Amino acid sequence: MALRARLTVWYGTALALILIVFATVLYAVLARGLKDQVDQSLQQAALAAVHALENRFGPFLPFEDFSAQFPELAVVDKFFQIFSPTGNITIASANIKTREIPLSPTALEAAFQGKTTYESARFPGEPPLRLVSVPIIYNGTLVNIVRVGTSLQPVEETLQRLLLVLAVTLPIALLAALAGGWFLAGRALRPVEDITQAAQRISGGDLTQRLHVSPSSDEIGRLAATFNEMIARLETSFRQVRQFSTDASHELRTPLTVMKGETELALRRPRSAEDYRLVLESNLEEIDRMTRIVDELLFLSRADLGEVKMESLPIRLDVLVEDIQRQAALLGQDQGIQVTLGPVEPATIRGDELRIRELLLNLVANAVKYSRPGGKVPISLVSEGNSARLRVTDDGIGIAPEEQPHIFDRFFRTPAARAHAKEGTGLGLSICKWIADAHHGRIEVQSAAGVGSQFTVILPLSTASN
Amino acid sequence: MRVLVIEDEAKVASFIRRALEEESYAVDVCDDGAKGLDLGQNGSYDLIILDLMLPGLPGIEVLKGLRKEKVQTPVLILTARSQVEQKVRGLDAGADDYLTKPFAIEELLARARALFRRGVGEVTGILQVDDLVLNPATREVTRGGQRIELTAKEYALLEYLMRHAGRVLTRPMIVEHVWNMDFDSFTNVIDVYVNYLRNKIDRGRERKLIQTVRGSGYVLRAV
Repeated sequence: MALRARLTVWYGTALALILIVFATVLYAVLARGLKDQVDQSLQQAALAAVHALENRFGPFLPFEDFSAQFPELAVVDKFFQIFSPTGNITIASANIKTREIPLSPTALEAAFQGKTTYESARFPGEPPLRLVSVPIIYNGTLVNIVRVGTSLQPVEETLQRLLLVLAVTLPIALLAALAGGWFLAGRALRPVEDITQAAQRISGGDLTQRLHVSPSSDEIGRLAATFNEMIARLETSFRQVRQFSTDASHELRTPLTVMKGETELALRRPRSAEDYRLVLESNLEEIDRMTRIVDELLFLSRADLGEVKMESLPIRLDVLVEDIQRQAALLGQDQGIQVTLGPVEPATIRGDELRIRELLLNLVANAVKYSRPGGKVPISLVSEGNSARLRVTDDGIGIAPEEQPHIFDRFFRTPAARAHAKEGTGLGLSICKWIADAHHGRIEVQSAAGVGSQFTVILPLSTASN
Repeated sequence: MRVLVIEDEAKVASFIRRALEEESYAVDVCDDGAKGLDLGQNGSYDLIILDLMLPGLPGIEVLKGLRKEKVQTPVLILTARSQVEQKVRGLDAGADDYLTKPFAIEELLARARALFRRGVGEVTGILQVDDLVLNPATREVTRGGQRIELTAKEYALLEYLMRHAGRVLTRPMIVEHVWNMDFDSFTNVIDVYVNYLRNKIDRGRERKLIQTVRGSGYVLRAV
């Protein structure tokens, strides 16, 4: 069942219960009140009669005289009967002359004990009656019993009218309330409907959609705001993924284009063995390039999925730096680029030595790659506070300021880098950044186009070395 | 036919150049967008092959620049991405055709031939002047049904003359369209090649198709 209908049903049920309880209580209280009022008025009339009988006249008096003497007793809606202790009627008021309503045994018995009795009586074809019987006791002996009675019809009629009014108005009120509840639930739920429709459009692939719910701090407003933030994040990450796969396919297409082109060209006509050898060499280069791209992509996607295992062992960075320097010195030999050691202070960090080595080697290899012949690449290591600062500096082609924020993006290569060195996947620095992040460190870059670059890796020192 | 290849991936540019040269086209290669725009505006090319991802100036801007300067040369764009949007943008900016990398070399050459054909308003692609017939697709030349064997340069020269049959072509025009820009145009090599062609096409024939226009150049026409 729809939420709107469910809300309305719950609301209606609760309201109906409340109304029924209210009506029942109202009816009971009113009925009780009205009967009490009748009893009270009967009692007053009876006591007045008793008083008159006791003080002024003898016990036997014709009612005509009696009522002439006491006009206040000749009330139309009440009748009087005076019984002898045997239960026989001795005097009855004019409005009851023709009809005898005998004293009940209970009332008689109570009268002998000096007690007043209230009774209800109903005779077929007549309105219901309310009766009060009061004994008159003189010197310890029951002399007379005064009974005053009245019709309960007005009370019953009032109660019936009340019942009728309740029976008509309660369902009407309930229906009106249900209609109001349905309308209000619909109004309150309309933003939810809007959100659903927007979500459907969004799941249809259009991530530029946003929810247009009036900005408010209520539940729906907060839901919409949260939803919008989530979509914005999704949009960003979708765009990144799309960009990434576009870039990846572009980077893989280039070597494929070269291989396909070279091979097809070679096959167009018979060639010399030397020509075939050149094509195979070219293809091999492209295969190596693709292998490198695929390896690096695989590492990054595994890193994204959190599947790359990282050791956490103490690493002597100073030893590692000296080792890397020896290894990298060979890289620049052909072009006369010198990889040298600057100041190296002892420093120990915790982490995965293979990864840190990869990070450093990547940075040094980059420095060599983007240096000009005869350039210098000093590596240094200093401790500052709680962190180790590893610096790789070069005096190569540098990075323009507007390109610096992008150099860690996947596949990003500056035009200058592309022009300077054809090989390179654009993934190396992304991997470096990932490794630094995984060691709770970071990489800073200072560079000027044409002047050179300085990469600083900042890694937290192992507490054991402090 | 002279072709300008604007492509920054050296190895891609290299095999495209070699393939086109095997078809006897004169080829210039440029690896930078801005330089490519400059060359395209000032050189007389019969076709420009343009990569869209370029340093210096994006390929699409090179294309717009060329069209703005009223350069009518057919342009074939190369895209690394198979996205429709990029092809549409390229075609709307004035490209005549496109290829997605990686592409088949034969397709590139066929598309190049189709674009040359469009330049002279032919339909079949087969060139014919009198009883001299040249088929660019098969590179077959016949005269009066007899097959004529030509060297690559001779073929290129004949193709150029036939595509502009009836028009007087000056020596600089011939140099620009048949040789690439490394060629030293002060030599009399054109006259030498025209003579080679005459020997193979007109020698012993009643109707001489290749005629010298004194002080201007050459013209190929039906007599």
